[in-house]
Amino acid sequence: MSKKVGIVWFTILAVLFSASFLVSPVSAQQTSWWAKAAEPYKGIVITGISESTPPSKYMQEVLAPAFEKETGIKVKFETTSWDEMYDKEIKDMEAGTGVYDFVYIEQDIVYAYLARNFLVNLSSFMKENPNLVYPDLDLGDFTSFINYYKDSKGDLFGLPFESFLKLYVYRKDLFNDPKIKAEFKAKYGWNLRPAKTFKEYEQIAEFFTDYGKRNNIPLWGTTVQAGAHPAAFYEMVETIWPSWGIYNWGINLQNYHATSANGGKLDSARAKEAFRWWVNLLKYAPPESRASTWDEVAATMAAGRAAQGWVYGENIAWIATDSTRSKVVGKIGVELPPLYPGVLQEAKEGKGYIGYYDGGALGIPHSSKKKEAAFLFMQWVTRKDFQGDFAAKAARIVRKSTFSDPKVKALDPKVDHYFTKMQKYGDLFAGAPPFPFHATIREVMLPYILKGIAGEMTPEEALDKAAIAVDAELKNEGYIK
Amino acid sequence: MKSRSLTFRNGKIAWGLLSPMLLILFIVGVLPFIYVLYLGFCQWNVFAQVSKIKWVWGANYRRLVFDSDFLSALGRGIKFTLWTVSIEMVLGFLLAQLFMKPFRGKNFFRAIYSLPLTVAPIAIGATWRLMTIPGFGIIPYLFSKLGFDYNIAYKANQAFFSTVALDVWHWTPFVTLTLLAGLTALPKEPFEQAQIDGASNWQMLWYITLPLLYPVLTTTLFIRIMDALRIVDEVWMLTGGGPGTATRYVGIHIWREVFPKTDYGYGAAMSTLVLYFTIVLSWLLFTIITYREERKE
Repeated sequence: MSKKVGIVWFTILAVLFSASFLVSPVSAQQTSWWAKAAEPYKGIVITGISESTPPSKYMQEVLAPAFEKETGIKVKFETTSWDEMYDKEIKDMEAGTGVYDFVYIEQDIVYAYLARNFLVNLSSFMKENPNLVYPDLDLGDFTSFINYYKDSKGDLFGLPFESFLKLYVYRKDLFNDPKIKAEFKAKYGWNLRPAKTFKEYEQIAEFFTDYGKRNNIPLWGTTVQAGAHPAAFYEMVETIWPSWGIYNWGINLQNYHATSANGGKLDSARAKEAFRWWVNLLKYAPPESRASTWDEVAATMAAGRAAQGWVYGENIAWIATDSTRSKVVGKIGVELPPLYPGVLQEAKEGKGYIGYYDGGALGIPHSSKKKEAAFLFMQWVTRKDFQGDFAAKAARIVRKSTFSDPKVKALDPKVDHYFTKMQKYGDLFAGAPPFPFHATIREVMLPYILKGIAGEMTPEEALDKAAIAVDAELKNEGYIK
Repeated sequence: MKSRSLTFRNGKIAWGLLSPMLLILFIVGVLPFIYVLYLGFCQWNVFAQVSKIKWVWGANYRRLVFDSDFLSALGRGIKFTLWTVSIEMVLGFLLAQLFMKPFRGKNFFRAIYSLPLTVAPIAIGATWRLMTIPGFGIIPYLFSKLGFDYNIAYKANQAFFSTVALDVWHWTPFVTLTLLAGLTALPKEPFEQAQIDGASNWQMLWYITLPLLYPVLTTTLFIRIMDALRIVDEVWMLTGGGPGTATRYVGIHIWREVFPKTDYGYGAAMSTLVLYFTIVLSWLLFTIITYREERKE
């Protein structure tokens, strides 16, 4: 009997061993390419920095060790807070110290980095080093998000590894509850569904806040990303204003003025109305909202404390599927955000956008002394065959082919077809405007946004002063003549 | 002749031994300070249209005196300093007096009490944030049980006094320990003499302890003033400077100007002005205290 079992086991193992060669001929071939390309750099250490986000953690914990094993190049991958990451990488690139061999480039900062010539031109680099270009890199397979990393001549300066939309997320279970639906209809006279207008959004927020109070459950009507942190500024300028038809932070792209008198829209009536509307939502938001950044908003939603809100896509997958971290697994719905009349049409015509298309890439600073090895690592993390797992773990997609990956297809229904919506509506969203002064102007506007939130100023007064301050700063920095 | 040569040789040896440390101090202390002074007279924002350093004479300082955001931040910093240092000095002195007396478990209590000093400010800020975060923290929860709405992300006064409480919790042990060292070193004779003369405890405190402790008290006071005025990390972690700008003290204001905004020239001018202000404030305090002491003599 035991002899028979032994033969069976031996046969199974032999079949599996042979199959491993049969089913992955491409992997074997790819392995040899990476090892061969990395041969001259074996044993060296490359250092990189990124924000501590799910995609970066995945690179740090999964992809970097696999790269080390495959190539013999050691990767020192630092993931830290968003503020500190910028502080460190900008100082390194400005001083040319060469501490970092690859850096995280969030879409919104790339224009500033290009203006300061911090980054290696990857198009030229690839021409000069054809032996380092992975045969299956296939730049044409990247989504349109890669275009944010090209200069006016079309040259590439970063390889995207993450991109996602900030979408309207709501509690499907609550929205579909017949008792709640009936109560809602009786109070507001229309059928409860994801909001399409701002009035509807506010009514839903009011209803669920009241519902939470009446039933003594910790539930509020909406999330608001209103902590004393740049996150509050970003929710306003990248999520709320675009959906109200105020684009590019209210700054005129032609002359860089923010004041209405000079062609800007930061102090326009609609910008003020939108700001007041958003601040007013704090009445229907849980108490932590005034201390919330993007992470806390995701935590609030995952804790089941809000009925709806705007959530960064990188968090949607774990909120909807990871029961170790989320109380609302299987209860999350995803939709396009409510919009001001005409905004959707403007977005379709390319004259505007309806929300934020966020993401990041890895780039190589000029100051790096190990550019070749860094470039190999950047290609490694964007490998087509890694993208399915990467998307499933961190809900980010940078390649067109990833949308049809079986793992993504399997996950898609569990996240209310977030990936399908990303593919279908991605072009209606946009990244940050092409400002070389992104961080500087954020810091000028931020105190006014915070004062508006805290009630130190009315929203109208805050935007009037912010517009004047932006114009003054841009004049001082030489952008307004 | 022999002794002069010896002195000269000793001097050379002394300078030789000191030189590595002086060199390090010069590199990490004096040079950066000179650089900051220089930058204060320059316009330099790495993301400006012209990102090179440009000498602008006193333009940054001229802009500063009319910068209401900076002046407000400085005002808030002074208010914070007044509150924290006053509480810490009084509380620290009382606790130092307590530790002078024998009681059971004194050593254990002193060790526990001094623990905050060993923790990094950023970790203290993070811990306090966890305790105070609205909706989740233990402190808002306990206050809600008492029917009190505690939300430091919304209520400016609560945020301000929470930062004061954090600083007092962190730094009072420092005041206690330095004053305790001072009290321990005081001579016993004047106190014995006063007891014989029938002086009350209050009279001994006012006429003997405080005057004898004066050098330690002033040193501790100045250290705490300087520290409190430039506070950044704990408050940054706890409130982020909010709600609004309620706890955006001058240190945080400068940090945001220099790092996220990358306005190095203007930020350097702010730092220099705050340093100047701190020196003047300390000098004024010192003069007032010394004048009082001289008049007494």
